[in-house]
Amino acid sequence: MSLNSTTATEDLADVERVLAGDAAAFAGIVRRWQSPLVNMAWRYCRDRGRAEELAQEAFLRAWRGLAQWRRESSFSTWLFALAANVFRSELKRFPAVNLPLEAAPEPSGPAFQHHALAEKSSQEAVRRAVLALPLRYREPVILFYFHEMDLAAAARTMRLPEGTLKARLSRARALLRRRFPQLEDEQEALEFSTATLERRPNIEAHRN
Amino acid sequence: MKPTAIKSPETSPAALDRILAAEEELLPSSGFLASVMERVQEEAAAPPPIPFPWKRAIPGILLATIVLGGGAVELVRLILSAMREISLAPPPLPAVAVRPISGVGWLLLALGASLLSWILSRRLAGRSGLL
Repeated sequence: MSLNSTTATEDLADVERVLAGDAAAFAGIVRRWQSPLVNMAWRYCRDRGRAEELAQEAFLRAWRGLAQWRRESSFSTWLFALAANVFRSELKRFPAVNLPLEAAPEPSGPAFQHHALAEKSSQEAVRRAVLALPLRYREPVILFYFHEMDLAAAARTMRLPEGTLKARLSRARALLRRRFPQLEDEQEALEFSTATLERRPNIEAHRN
Repeated sequence: MKPTAIKSPETSPAALDRILAAEEELLPSSGFLASVMERVQEEAAAPPPIPFPWKRAIPGILLATIVLGGGAVELVRLILSAMREISLAPPPLPAVAVRPISGVGWLLLALGASLLSWILSRRLAGRSGLL
């Protein structure tokens, strides 16, 4: 039995127990899905405390609406779609503090900093820039990468046709690429410098 | 000769994919599960919401429906009868419209008298310094 089907069976069993009146059985669901939901919420706001609050709210909504889960789709699909709705509406009510896309910081040059730190900071700048995208483009990016680039899963979570999601994703990527035109060169430079540094001990050994 | 399009340098999709896909895994805090379950237990322990008292409300709703419905029917009936009366009896035309030629003299006389009285009143008011 695969891990996914085991999880699905456990989810189903826990849902049945909760619906039969055993509230404690919901702990199993929270235990299995807390990490994905907190990580998903984190991608929406990039604030750890807020991510946990959002995830908690999503679990509570799931608890209240557990009877509405029709067994046509998997529990995780239903839970992610519900969570996306919660995150979207909560962040509309109290938006995360975002910079406009133009004001998103430039990734710093790798030549003057330690390569690992530079790489991390430039990647973080790109990830933060995702939050500066208009909402209709932001969410497809968040969910596409959250679902490990599974377009169908992201489309199911957003309850959108795959074609629409693909078009929005493409537009979002174009916006990001325009904002960070130097990123590719920088990545290559970073990879080159990392490779050089990794080779250095060998070079030193050869010299000795 | 066609002008060559200047293309701005862009990040490759692969570079973006690499960055956005490689997000560090965030671990929920140790108290997260407990805090969610605490709220779930609170909700589970809360008494169920008081159901709407349909038994008591139904007579009132029925009465209100009858009164409002009857009123609406009466209003429509009134409007319809008024409209019927208007359409059946055409409004009486003024005498001037019936006999235009004979009435013109009197009409002009009345207008002249009005004009005269207006001019006189203005003159009198002007003399007394009211205007």
